[in-house]
Amino acid sequence: MHSADGSRPWTFYFFAAFFGLFVAFLYGPMVVIYVLSFQGPTGGMTFPLNGVSLHWFDALISQSRVGDIAGSFQRSIVLAAVVAVVTVLVSVLAGLAFRRPFRGSAFAFYLAIASLIMPGLFVGLGIALTFRLLGLPTGWYSSGLGAQLTWTLPFGLLIMFAVLGRFNRSYEEAATDLGATNWQKLKEVTIPMLLPGIIGVALFGFTLSYDEIARTALAAGAKNTLPLEIWAMTTNVTSPTLYAVGAVTTIVSFFVIVVALTSIGAIQRRRSRSNT
Amino acid sequence: MTQATGSGAIGGGQVEVAGVTKRFGETVAVKELSLTIPHGSYCCLLGPSGCGKTTILRMIAGHENPTTGDVRIGGRSVVGLPQVERGTAMMFQSYALFPHRSVLDNVAFALKVRGIGLPARHNQARELLAKVQLEKFANRLPAELSGGQQQRVALARALITNPRVLLLDEPLSALDEYLRLRMRGELRRVQKELGITFVHVTHTQLEAIAVADMVVVMAQGRIEQAASARDIFVAPRNAYVARFVGGQNVLSGTVESTMNGMAAVASDKGARFAFPVGEIRPARGAKLYGSIRRDRIGVEKMLPGAKPAGGLNTTVGEVHTLENQGSYVKVTIDLDNGEEFVAHVPDDTFFRNPLDIGDKVEARWSASDVKLLDDGPIAFEAAAVEARAASAD
Repeated sequence: MHSADGSRPWTFYFFAAFFGLFVAFLYGPMVVIYVLSFQGPTGGMTFPLNGVSLHWFDALISQSRVGDIAGSFQRSIVLAAVVAVVTVLVSVLAGLAFRRPFRGSAFAFYLAIASLIMPGLFVGLGIALTFRLLGLPTGWYSSGLGAQLTWTLPFGLLIMFAVLGRFNRSYEEAATDLGATNWQKLKEVTIPMLLPGIIGVALFGFTLSYDEIARTALAAGAKNTLPLEIWAMTTNVTSPTLYAVGAVTTIVSFFVIVVALTSIGAIQRRRSRSNT
Repeated sequence: MTQATGSGAIGGGQVEVAGVTKRFGETVAVKELSLTIPHGSYCCLLGPSGCGKTTILRMIAGHENPTTGDVRIGGRSVVGLPQVERGTAMMFQSYALFPHRSVLDNVAFALKVRGIGLPARHNQARELLAKVQLEKFANRLPAELSGGQQQRVALARALITNPRVLLLDEPLSALDEYLRLRMRGELRRVQKELGITFVHVTHTQLEAIAVADMVVVMAQGRIEQAASARDIFVAPRNAYVARFVGGQNVLSGTVESTMNGMAAVASDKGARFAFPVGEIRPARGAKLYGSIRRDRIGVEKMLPGAKPAGGLNTTVGEVHTLENQGSYVKVTIDLDNGEEFVAHVPDDTFFRNPLDIGDKVEARWSASDVKLLDDGPIAFEAAAVEARAASAD
């Protein structure tokens, strides 16, 4: 919006400054961490940089005194993948089911969504206590998985509501009209058309799990997930290795997002060439 | 497709809706409606949105089931039957082409779900695409086609199962004016060629009259009139049909006297009309409704200060709008009582002595052009006359 003399109104500068501040606040600290992760071997946890090296990444891999980064990373990736799959299965099916109101559907919906507003730490605590009460051992793959699902399932369901809200029923009716059975309708029309949204749900499930702390902290059992491991490191590791961990985990997050987005793009490109 | 071949003397594509009521919770979408659409005819269900026309279509297609009543196709009840066993195919309002499948795969979809192999189904789909002149676009995605092309793909996709009844839900509403006119002619041509029954839902009066053999005018879940397109236009049954289909002015007044099959009627504002009533003898003081075609009305400018001639079958008002339609001029007259009256004046007549907005005019017509409408107490009288005629046979 330019005024007659070509100058911008003061509100433009105000909001531009506000946005600049927001971006600086969001990315500034992260950039500091990535830069410091290239600290020279003799450097410390703060500026100035004492030379540039990959020393601390090396220390990370050689796994000396920094804790079980490699193990916790593996656990986190597996856990996030399982969470993503379960979240997709449950929220897609639940989303489809909720399209037709059934007795108690509103109650079921609020029951599912309520876990979003419960304090995560206590959800985790409750799960851990219940496991102990039942005499079951807590573990990242059992109680930890459950704790994370209380967080990702309602999210997945809400995303599916948004995706299905824009999905016109007449496509499914057209499929039925042309003779498709219910299963063919789901396989040939509904799922392929919802696929970009479903990948979105999977992505959300994965990333929410990958950096979850509050619910997992007390429910993960003896072995840590990556965020818990890092959290522990912040209190007892006093070298730039910590920053190297931050840099590597960020790369993994970005990698997941890039894979998801390119697969959505690839699906759409394949569709335009598809002849089957 | 084997189910495509009809059976019985009434023709495989005869559609019968018998005493059907459809409720959605508290609301009644269709009330006790009966309708027979002959095999091989082009039928338009015409009405404003919410009149139940799409519900009827969806019940024929099997996307809804009637609350009570029966739907028969080719003489056989289809209530509760799956879509495939009805021999119907539907073209959806926005076509509902699958966006993730090529044009060819969209057309071949019905064959794919029936387990027909890829080469066979693609061959058949190509043949059909050739019929709608789209074989060049076989490998495109629907989104890469224009609206008119998408409509033809939808048509080909619906026709691949050789249905005996094609159901079209507002098939032209997504097109622009130019394509709409072209495609409606195209639909009519395809219907003639295939000889199957078309049931076409629309809210556009001229579209229905242009394409259909049979027009069913609906309001509030009921049929107001089901007749040939010509009858709907020239002989609307009641004031609702006359007003909705257009092309007519509705007159009303109370009977003063009846003589030689003509009733003298006085409007609320004192204008006096003659209505041909035939055999009916309406009581003095009964309210009658009649319609007069817009193109059967002469409009004359009144000189300033002149008194209206005040003869029979005239009405006086002020020109409100003028629209040149090419071959005629649409003159809208504001009557003294606030109603609108429309005359279609042939262009050569109009431009011999053009009118201006605001001119005082007198509209006049011949009593024999007035059609008595089936509204008010006359409905019962007319029924009684019909009954008398029937018993005389």
